[in-house]
Amino acid sequence: MSATQPYIPRSGERGMVSDRYRPSRKSELRIWWREIDRVLLFLILALMAIGTVAVAAGSPASARRLSTSASRLPELYFYWAHLRWQAVGLVVMFGASMLARDSARRLGILLAGGMIAALFLVPLIGSEVNGARRWLDLGIRFQPSEFLKPAFAIVLAWIFSWRLRDQNLPVAWIASGLMVLVAALLMLQPNFGDTLLFGGVWFVLVLLSGVPVKRLGILAGIGSLGIAATYFLYDNARHRIDSFIGGGTAFDQVDLAQRTLLGGGWFGTGMRLGVRKFSLPEAHTDYIFSVIGEEFGLIACAVVVCLYLAIMVRVLVRLADEEDLFTLLAGAGLATQIGGQAFINILVNLQLFPSKGMTLPLVSYGGSSTIAVCLAVGLLLAVTRRNPFLKRETPGLRALLGEKEEHA
Amino acid sequence: MTAMTVSTAISLGRVQLAHIRFRTLNTARQRLLWVAILFALVAALAIGRIAWLGSSDRTATATSLEEALLPPRGEITDRNGVPLARAFPAYALWFNPRAMGESGSALVKSPQEVAHALKQIFPDIDEKAMAERLASGKPGYLRRRVLPEDANKVMDIGELALEMPRETDRHYPQGRLAAHVLGYVDSDGHGKLGMEQVLDDRLSDPATRGQPVSLSIDLRVQGALEDELRKGMLSTNAEGAAGIVLDADTGEVLALASLPEFDPNRVEPGDLVLTPQEAKNGYFPKAFNRVTNQVYELGSTFKPITIAAAIDAGVVRDFGKRYDASPVQMGRFTIKDSHAMGATLNVPETLIHSSNTVSARIADELGGEKLRGTLIDLGMNQRPYIELTGRGFPIWPGKDWPRLRTMTVGFGHGIAVTPLHLASAYAALVNGGIWRPATLYKLDPDQVPRGRRVFKASTSSRMRQLLRMIALDGTGRSANAPGFRVGGKTGSAEKPGSHGYRHHTLVSTFAAAFPMDRPRYVVVAMLDEPKGTVASSFQRTAAFNAAPVVGRLVPRIGPVLGVRPDATRDIDLSDLRPLVPHGGSGE
Repeated sequence: MSATQPYIPRSGERGMVSDRYRPSRKSELRIWWREIDRVLLFLILALMAIGTVAVAAGSPASARRLSTSASRLPELYFYWAHLRWQAVGLVVMFGASMLARDSARRLGILLAGGMIAALFLVPLIGSEVNGARRWLDLGIRFQPSEFLKPAFAIVLAWIFSWRLRDQNLPVAWIASGLMVLVAALLMLQPNFGDTLLFGGVWFVLVLLSGVPVKRLGILAGIGSLGIAATYFLYDNARHRIDSFIGGGTAFDQVDLAQRTLLGGGWFGTGMRLGVRKFSLPEAHTDYIFSVIGEEFGLIACAVVVCLYLAIMVRVLVRLADEEDLFTLLAGAGLATQIGGQAFINILVNLQLFPSKGMTLPLVSYGGSSTIAVCLAVGLLLAVTRRNPFLKRETPGLRALLGEKEEHA
Repeated sequence: MTAMTVSTAISLGRVQLAHIRFRTLNTARQRLLWVAILFALVAALAIGRIAWLGSSDRTATATSLEEALLPPRGEITDRNGVPLARAFPAYALWFNPRAMGESGSALVKSPQEVAHALKQIFPDIDEKAMAERLASGKPGYLRRRVLPEDANKVMDIGELALEMPRETDRHYPQGRLAAHVLGYVDSDGHGKLGMEQVLDDRLSDPATRGQPVSLSIDLRVQGALEDELRKGMLSTNAEGAAGIVLDADTGEVLALASLPEFDPNRVEPGDLVLTPQEAKNGYFPKAFNRVTNQVYELGSTFKPITIAAAIDAGVVRDFGKRYDASPVQMGRFTIKDSHAMGATLNVPETLIHSSNTVSARIADELGGEKLRGTLIDLGMNQRPYIELTGRGFPIWPGKDWPRLRTMTVGFGHGIAVTPLHLASAYAALVNGGIWRPATLYKLDPDQVPRGRRVFKASTSSRMRQLLRMIALDGTGRSANAPGFRVGGKTGSAEKPGSHGYRHHTLVSTFAAAFPMDRPRYVVVAMLDEPKGTVASSFQRTAAFNAAPVVGRLVPRIGPVLGVRPDATRDIDLSDLRPLVPHGGSGE
């Protein structure tokens, strides 16, 4: 007789659902307000407000750049469009944050399935922009990879949490297989930046799931090998990395971004008074951080960096008190995905990282990707909801730190 | 039995799972902190980079509204708003050997070819030196103040390493005109010499630099003055020349010129400092302002001041009184006249013939104390009153003059002042007796200083008659521009050398005012060491070189300044003219 029993999914749980107490809409809202991480919500809304102002600053530059003799875009074209997308995004965000944890997980899994299927379609019927085939036009144009980001974190967290049901399941292999599949689909586009981001989320979740440190070292080695391979296999990536290491030439994208970033000194030129931004490609998306630097000063840039760090620290520290492995992993994965993208974008703007086609989440103008980011944030808010009246059973963060001290 | 086993197995499995869950959660929590620390490190890296970039010199200082909308340095205009100094957006030619990357050659073509191409655009460059410069691969300015059309030609060479950054530069659209009044701006952007230095704060302060500063200078008068002075200087082979046109009633300087001058657009080191050889020979640098900075013994031009002081003190009451004109013997010294003028002279004759002996006797009769007091009232014991920084201190005899000193000062020796001192004194002589400080700022009528009374109005009235008579009948005849009622006094003083006076090096001055019936402007023209040439009838005295300069200048500036030539008007000389027997003979 084996000591362990095969895992039977959801045995004995069904019966409890039917006679559960169904709250009214109003009390649901009250519960939502009580359970939501309000500090996190405030930080996110602050960043979105900064984004609104920043897109207003960057919009004239991009509108002028994209205007042709035939059609002139109004100066604030992207600003108004951004406001519309942000409004939709906010609805998506609040809607997602209302979800119960299980519904959030189910949504994530379904979305992941759909988006991976869509990724298969991209090489076949996708439309090509700037030398990469990333967009899918099914009535509305969207990048499947953008919507896959939050779903991917949730699916990976879900897969890793199987281990608590049955430790014999090869969860790490399943997760890695999924990762390889997604990476392969992304590199077909090619989309090096997003591959890196997905890899980062996967790596963090592998790390959290308790893989021994030695194996993590091997993973890091494989990762750097992968980046080296990309360098030799993809011209686009090679050019960008070359120009990053070689210092580039005057007036290339990187140089222009830095001129813009430093154009306003510490305190900036003032709203809509920047001039360098007009020579910048993608002022409203990839290089919006530089536009903030010119018009609102380097101090404002530091504030933005601090806001992202605050979000990360807030989420991660609160998750350290979490009891449920799926919640912990999903929260960490979503936060890594948002924070990772933000910091890659910021480091590109600061010339510490080779140029990637990656936006600053919550701040950049993004169209459908704004909604994807809002969905990620909504899911993050949903999984970090916590009943403030429940006490945890296991030792929390404080005990963890105390424990560490004892070891030291 | 079986059921029992199963339930035990399940519970065993559950215990194990709970254990796994506890362990996994614990690991995950610990590693969450690793992730948090990782992100904190990345954020610290980003903020550190921001701080580093912010404190590097690459950051542009915030483009303030002032910089966007105001010129980097305020304009200077003349009294009519004609620009004298303005900010000029020019190009610079900068060599950036790294424009095409770190490695490899800085230039596409060979340095020789590029230098040759540059030589075609800028003919004054040294082609060989330029080729070496380009080959050396050192970044730096190749040239500044490049005109836009030349900048386009440089662009056509097609070298990335030749960059053309825009630079705002100080430009003096009038060229060398009024160089000593304006000064120049050095490479640090600060004004040097002249009003650029005086107004440095005002021209750079954002609060005031938007408004041009109006000087008292009238560009048309300045141009005429420099032109006539230069002609006079060149025709007499003089070392230098100085001139000033002063508003007699307000003290505003309408023109101020010192020759030879420098070009404020392109100041050469030689304009500012002299080689030891030049300094030994007594030359001045071109930037030296002879009007305000150099003191001269101005000689006979002081005689009207002595006479005026004597009239004012009541020492001279009778203009018909005849004074002994024989040489004055004082100890070792003898005061003589340049030529015999007769045994006795009255006061008008003294000035007309410029008699040293009678001037000395009248000064002696007036007394050193009173003469000294008048000169102090005229500001001759201190630096001249003007805004410029380079102002010479007079050689002033101090207190308790002996008789001989009083006598020599009476005809302008033993005291050395700047031409500006003399001009201000002449303004007081003719304007009714009020001395006012000279100024280079344009004055509104309500800003004119009250000044101080030096002479009685009646004395001033007499002096106008006497000065007019000199121009009509005496040494100043060649300054008598028809219809402009010029009056003035010549002065030809020997320059002091290492062994007493050097008899052949003169400073010739003509100090004048016009129109004498209602004097409005004082003109002083001075030539430093004129030689006897054909143009001056081989004479070196002021009557033959400085006075004609004024004679040619006044008809040019008079109409500009609102003084029309009028042959029907003149000052009434009917009471003094009979005292001069040869008066009006027109030799």
